Amino acid sequence: MTLLKLSGLSKSFGDNQVLKSIDLELKSQELLAVLGASGAGKSTLLRLIAGFERPTSGSMTLNGAEISNSNKVLAPDKRNIGIVPQDAALFPHLSVSQNIGFGLSKWSTGDKAARLKHLLELVELTDFADARPESLSGGQAQRVALARALAPRPALVLMDEPFSALDAELRARLRLDIRKILLAEGATAVLVTHDQEEALSLADRVAVLRDGEIGQIGTPTDIYNSPIDIGIATFLGDSVLVEGQVVKGKISTALGLLNPMGKVLDGDQGLTAIRYENFYLLPNPGGEGEVVGQVFFGHDAVLEVKIGDLVIRARSNGPFAPEVGMRVKVWVRGSVNFYAN
Amino acid sequence: MTQLFKKLSLKKTLAISVIALVGVSLSGCSPADQDLQDSTLTIYSGRNENLVQQVIDDFTAETGIAVEVRYAGGAELAAQILEEGQNSPADIFFSQDAGALGSLSKAGLLKAIPQELLDLVPSTYSAQDGNWVGISGRIRVLNYNPEKVTELPNSVFDLAGPQWQGRIGIAPTNASFQSFVTAMRVIEGEEKTLDWLKAMKTNAVLFEKNGAILEAVETGVVDAGLINHYYWYAKGKEVGMENMKSRITQFKDQDVGNLINVAGVGMVNDSASAKRFVEYLLSQSAQEYFASQTSEYPLIAGVPQVISLPALEEVPAPKIDLSDLDSLSETLDLIREAGLI
Amino acid sequence: MRRPPFLVVALSLGATLFASLPIGYLAIRFIEGLDKALDEVFRLRTLELLGNTGLLVLSVSISAFVIGFSQAWLTTRSNIRFASVFAVLAALPLAIPSYVMALGYISVFPTFSGFFASWLVLTLATSPYVFLAVTASLVRVDTAGEEVARSLGFGRLSVLRKITWPQVAPAATASVLLVALYTLSEFGAIAILRYDTFTRAIFNAYRGSFDRTAAAALAIVLLLITLLVIWLERRYRGANISSSRALGKRVRIDLGNWSWLALPILALVAALGVGLPIVSLIIWSILGGSSINWDQLLEALWGSFSLAGLAGVIIGIFATAIAFWAFRYRTKLGAFIETLSWATHALPAIVVGLALVFFGANITPWIYQTTWLLLIGYLILFLPNALAAISSPVARVPRSLEDLSQSLGTPANRTLFKIVLPIAMPGIIAGMALVSLTVLKELPATLLLRPTEVDTLATRLWTATETLSYSQAAPYAMLLIMLAGLPALALNAQARRAISEVREK
Repeated sequence: MTLLKLSGLSKSFGDNQVLKSIDLELKSQELLAVLGASGAGKSTLLRLIAGFERPTSGSMTLNGAEISNSNKVLAPDKRNIGIVPQDAALFPHLSVSQNIGFGLSKWSTGDKAARLKHLLELVELTDFADARPESLSGGQAQRVALARALAPRPALVLMDEPFSALDAELRARLRLDIRKILLAEGATAVLVTHDQEEALSLADRVAVLRDGEIGQIGTPTDIYNSPIDIGIATFLGDSVLVEGQVVKGKISTALGLLNPMGKVLDGDQGLTAIRYENFYLLPNPGGEGEVVGQVFFGHDAVLEVKIGDLVIRARSNGPFAPEVGMRVKVWVRGSVNFYAN
Repeated sequence: MTQLFKKLSLKKTLAISVIALVGVSLSGCSPADQDLQDSTLTIYSGRNENLVQQVIDDFTAETGIAVEVRYAGGAELAAQILEEGQNSPADIFFSQDAGALGSLSKAGLLKAIPQELLDLVPSTYSAQDGNWVGISGRIRVLNYNPEKVTELPNSVFDLAGPQWQGRIGIAPTNASFQSFVTAMRVIEGEEKTLDWLKAMKTNAVLFEKNGAILEAVETGVVDAGLINHYYWYAKGKEVGMENMKSRITQFKDQDVGNLINVAGVGMVNDSASAKRFVEYLLSQSAQEYFASQTSEYPLIAGVPQVISLPALEEVPAPKIDLSDLDSLSETLDLIREAGLI
Repeated sequence: MRRPPFLVVALSLGATLFASLPIGYLAIRFIEGLDKALDEVFRLRTLELLGNTGLLVLSVSISAFVIGFSQAWLTTRSNIRFASVFAVLAALPLAIPSYVMALGYISVFPTFSGFFASWLVLTLATSPYVFLAVTASLVRVDTAGEEVARSLGFGRLSVLRKITWPQVAPAATASVLLVALYTLSEFGAIAILRYDTFTRAIFNAYRGSFDRTAAAALAIVLLLITLLVIWLERRYRGANISSSRALGKRVRIDLGNWSWLALPILALVAALGVGLPIVSLIIWSILGGSSINWDQLLEALWGSFSLAGLAGVIIGIFATAIAFWAFRYRTKLGAFIETLSWATHALPAIVVGLALVFFGANITPWIYQTTWLLLIGYLILFLPNALAAISSPVARVPRSLEDLSQSLGTPANRTLFKIVLPIAMPGIIAGMALVSLTVLKELPATLLLRPTEVDTLATRLWTATETLSYSQAAPYAMLLIMLAGLPALALNAQARRAISEVREK
């Protein structure tokens, strides 16, 4: 069932058109990630959905009722849409449980207490119920912010880069927590982020926002495996671009003949996008490539390999990666995406 | 850029303040100049600097006695001398009105004026106990707009009539008005005075100062007002006598509205230079100064008045001892009871 | 329990000693004429004065709060046009002495007087205190939190009440306290506009009848009212919220059609508070023909400038010491001293002045009629102005930074000066600026305590207006407003500084 529907939604600030005719549908209990570089219009999109901005044109419905168009905007407090801001923005003068219970002012005392207890358990902060916001860690504060947004059972929760202020370790853990909490609550959510890993790992669907337009929308696997153009391909994952030509259904490149994903036309010239992890390197004194650089990440490593005039980057198993100076044989595994000129 | 500017300006403020600190400590704080102070005559003047500084400069020029003058409100200076008591640095108290001098005399803080100086002035215009001496005379007058007031009132009590409703200006908080009401109280009794004040509550427009009343009569805000005579002459000097729209006149037959009052001087310290100063104020040249520059009545024989009003002895003034004008608190109670302050 | 540094304690106790001088003086005068004093207090008139004073204080406090808060909110949080211009106009009346404002009004409307006139002029003169304090704390409030509250089902007004207000309340109530005490102690404007309050009655007791006992009795009643007002403020102030978070993004609220109401109101307040007084000053200088005495003008300018600068720095240092003691150590004694320094703030300047005349002339003649005694007078009168500005910044420095510094081997007292002081410095300088500009405008105590023959712009202005030579007064008034305008503008810039530091959306 469609919960939220954006139709031709545009927003300009003066001459600056930030969003250009966005169409988007969100199903109930779905988690949608809006992925985009900074300045792509992500936050503006969230603010439009939340009702803090008026669209320049287009409209928006929630549960079938129109909540925004260029003439009329239903006030944020009438929408039943929760938000989790970038830096939690907890109310500094209220305790953790007062923060979470803030949106429950119309609930009966008993219901409110039960809901609070449940949420504190869900976000694992029962011991911090009376704590002041300034005494919380970043991750704790974000969990409180999420619980606060979820408390009144909103139709939709909007999350604006909720992990951006956190360190990588905490980010990974909190991502799992939040996924679990959202599932447990049966909530529908839109997450805005510039981190493709975050979008791919967390969301049911990902919408790539680029220059105010939705470039591509689909499940994380679809998007990752079949970016519709070079731009999205390189944005979603580290890729090597190699020129090639279609010859008898295969792509002829400096790296040999590669298997295309999807249909290609014989004779087309274009670029092939090969992800770092699609390369397979085998140390071999007679190999065509030479390792000229290495960045070690522990669990894996990125190697720079020179093949003739071409320098490629390949991801390799960390502990067993070939050393700089070694010669290697280079294979491309699986299919690659080809974008004709 | 603006940031830099703001930071700079804060530092500058500090730097300037420190410089100021040094500057002031050098310039203002020199209590150690004891030698100088011994030879310097200190005058506390309740009379305005604009009116008397010239005559004080002339005194220094003639006698070579250095003078320091402290200007402030007459009542405040009287209170200051009362608080300083025997340790007052003041040698001379030069006052606008008899009341303030009377209060110091009562507290035993004034030294007797030498008889030969008292003899220069008619005894009516000095203290009965000889503790202060009158320097210049002023009278209460009716200031009126001849276009609006065709029939002049005979007595200040006529102003209580209904035909004067909203047409008359008074300054109930002003010392000269209060002296006049005191005189009315002493001569005519409390009851009659209170009735008159109550009539003023309906008839009069209230001002803070004599000058403001004159301004109001000149500009036609009110038709007439009760002021001291010299305000009219001062204004005439400023704008030219021919440009004065209002006139001044007196009431008939020793009416209390024609009260004569004086500015006087008392000695807090009877040093030779203090006596010399009092003597100077009663000299021909100082008296001429008051006659011509401040448009007051000179009080010593042989100095002619400059203003066109009747001579002091011909003014139809009420007979009253000026020392009786120090019973101000009863007057204030009446004025308050009438609702004028 | 940590012990405060000696310097902090010494300065605080010093300030307390000074602040208690007027109280001691009043006690002496009161007991000296006990029967008369009691008669003076237990009169119907006292009740009447109580009613008048209470009405004025209450109404000015409320209206100054409403105006100052609205100006601050509109110029920092809404998308109103010319916001920074209106902010400057809202701060500027601070530079205009209230007696000049009152004179400006009566020179245009000669019969302007009574309760309404006093209420209007004092509201205009005091609302900048609220405006600046609320602006400074409003720009610190994270707007993201307000949006969250909106999304949780609260309308704009409830968000203002439940989220924004608690965060600005401590600064706002402290500024309203300043307004209330200002109104209690105001004399110049009240006398010109003829409304009877305790302060005017006290002046009149000296002026009309040289009656020091009656004045002392009334002043003691005033002191009790002041304590009541302070107690009320303490009760409803709420805690300072220490927020170490970086400032969030800032979103200006779209006023929509409301801006057609807000713009004219802001413009009207600016016209009444800044426009009319300045226009009447210009009229004064055009009308009169008197030439300017440049020597006197420059001498007065230097007198004002040096006294105000010196007083600002010194009083700022005392206030910082008290704020350190009261808010970084949280001892009962520190808090008591903070309260006491507020208590004398509502005493009329003439009482403070005469108290220092009494003690100065008779006990410490070597500082009598020197700059030092005058500075002590300013300290007693204006310490609370500095405290109001300095307390919040000092209290807000996170405790964790102090702990951190000590863990790095810096002793507690050095930490106070190396960590807390620099972080709170912008607030301390703001306090100094506020004191300086208040000192620039001060008249009654300056007249009583100044070194003989030292003049300031305010005393020259007084000399001119006493003889009603408005044309002679005009240049002094203009210069005074310009000089006081500098700290007023700096305070406004300081309060709004955070706005430019934050990303605009």
